Amino acid sequence: MRWRVVLPATVTGLALLAALGLGIPRKQHLTDALVVVDITRSMNVRDMQGESRLDYVRRALRDWIAARPCGSRIGLALFTERRSVTLFEPVEICADFSSVAGSLAGLDWRMAWEGDSMISKGLDYSLDRARELGVPLIFVTDGHEAPPLPYAGPAGFAGDSPGGLILGVGGDAPAPIPKFDDLGREVGFYDPEDVQHAPARIGAPPSDASERPGYHPRNNPYGESDLEGNEHLSELRQVYLQDLAEDRELGFLRLADGGAAIDRALLQYAPTHSVRVTRSLSPLIGAAGLLLLIALWLAGHRGFTRTERRFHDYRTHSHRGFLRRHIGVVGKSARSYAATGRRDSDNRGRAL
Amino acid sequence: MMAFFHPYVLFALPFALLPLGLRWLRSFDVPRLGSRPVDARSRLIDRGLPIAGFIAISSLVLGVSGPYLKGGSVPYRGQGSNLVVLIDRSSSMDDSFAGRTPDGGEESKSAAARRILQDFIAGRPDDRIGIAAFSTAPLQVLPMTTSRSAIRAAIDAQAERGLSQTDVGRGLALAMEMMRDSTTVGSRAVVMVSDGAAVIAPDVQKQLRELALEQQVNLYWLYLRTEGAKSIFDDGAPGEANTAQTRPERHLHLFLQRLGITYRAFEAEGPEAVQQAIDEIGKMETRPILTERMIPRRDLDWICYLLAAAAAGILTLARWLERPYAPVMPAPLMRRS
Repeated sequence: MRWRVVLPATVTGLALLAALGLGIPRKQHLTDALVVVDITRSMNVRDMQGESRLDYVRRALRDWIAARPCGSRIGLALFTERRSVTLFEPVEICADFSSVAGSLAGLDWRMAWEGDSMISKGLDYSLDRARELGVPLIFVTDGHEAPPLPYAGPAGFAGDSPGGLILGVGGDAPAPIPKFDDLGREVGFYDPEDVQHAPARIGAPPSDASERPGYHPRNNPYGESDLEGNEHLSELRQVYLQDLAEDRELGFLRLADGGAAIDRALLQYAPTHSVRVTRSLSPLIGAAGLLLLIALWLAGHRGFTRTERRFHDYRTHSHRGFLRRHIGVVGKSARSYAATGRRDSDNRGRAL
Repeated sequence: MMAFFHPYVLFALPFALLPLGLRWLRSFDVPRLGSRPVDARSRLIDRGLPIAGFIAISSLVLGVSGPYLKGGSVPYRGQGSNLVVLIDRSSSMDDSFAGRTPDGGEESKSAAARRILQDFIAGRPDDRIGIAAFSTAPLQVLPMTTSRSAIRAAIDAQAERGLSQTDVGRGLALAMEMMRDSTTVGSRAVVMVSDGAAVIAPDVQKQLRELALEQQVNLYWLYLRTEGAKSIFDDGAPGEANTAQTRPERHLHLFLQRLGITYRAFEAEGPEAVQQAIDEIGKMETRPILTERMIPRRDLDWICYLLAAAAAGILTLARWLERPYAPVMPAPLMRRS
């Protein structure tokens, strides 16, 4: 008898609880980032399944940002020459997603104010800039240094690294770099004679210089070296970028590894800040109430309690002794007998 | 637009028909109640309980499926303008108005311009604003948006030290191109903030003339004049060199006047003058504009749960008032003594 009331009351209580929108608080780790995109010429190479690297970057970054949790902030910058330029400081990605996506879509190689692509210098500048803004750095590049680095290699990084990632784009096979005329029309590809192949003649010469053709200790200490090369072709220089990343406490992975991999790597290489979010329990509570109500309806619509079953027995078999045991029940139900059925044809009434 | 977090839960909706077939309260085998008069209260209960059950189950299903009103933008009529702010990023902008590297007390031209632009934008909540910058190449910084936080972040980011040269022509072309995103209702204005100019190549001049006719923008040039630089409004003394190469600012001014659009130049030699000029632009560019306002997502599940709680409450009440049927037996004919 009591359960017939308590269980529906439980359903009512569950529905009320669900309406209150209770939730369990949880800590969520968020990472902000200053995303710096390389827009130099080599990013026009079409080796991302026929797509140009820059097109791929725009699309992949947009998808990645769209999948990030609300509350994380993204700033956007572009890199060319030897520095980056920040388009906007980090903004919250959910509120300003359309602006972020719009600016990302507007990234173009034509924004480059110079044609050089000094990756390591640009990376160091970007790291400083990210540290100023107080966010980790995500540097998206193919690692193609143009002109090539001096023999001594890239300068070491001296400052404090804010942490972050280098994301590599580009294929593994060298591919030709599209060339454009003054008005931005494509006019073929870069030829070997269009670019500088040898490392810049700055700093110490290589150790094997004396074996090179044309070597002269005073007049030509580097030897002849600009004779041939593959600098007019571009591929993802993964090993170089990995070295750069290691020196600067950054992680390296390919942009093509996907958003989940980037998020995992960011957790590892970049400082996070955590916010408290509450995960609503309402659907769970509501579902429990719903199941209970359906079960009650299925089970309870003609539930006989023990009393009634005995009563049933009594009616069919024996009158004796029953009333004396159940006199109280009889008295009560006689009063509540009033509200009953209405259909003439149906001799089964409904009692309230 | 309404949407659901878990739309597949809605497949459970047919369960709401359960109360129409099965009774909530018990039924008993009793003889012929139909001979009793039909009373209104009984009928109310008889019909009300299945309805309460229907509401309880269906609104619980709806609640669990998580209905919400999609956020988005609603059209909104405000006072403002479609504005593209074109900012000079050449390295001379980092100097003070006196043409020096700013020391402690001084403000660089770019810092003054940024500060005043921020105030200007903060005071115009209905503007749609896009930001572009130019140096040797034009940079689209932020496409037209109504989001104040994005605009603020974009202007703040211009604090980075400047790039190299000044190519005004292509910058202007980009700013006018960005106007394609503007709303059809409302005025359209480009505010160019620069401290110098350069010769505009003939093909860019042609492109600019065409764009200006096509886009019909109002153009404002806020010329941050460095101390000692010549004014853009006068030709100088007779006999002084006055060619596009020697005085590019003056000739840019003349070119912009010939574009056939509303154009006004302001010359500012200090932060106060910049402030005055910006205020004046603000006055001229306040017209009705049809823009949009963002509305956040709104959850609706709590309404469903409240409704379900009310209906379940009625059901509970019915069960609480329910009494088992126990007919009064006829008294036995004989009593045991």
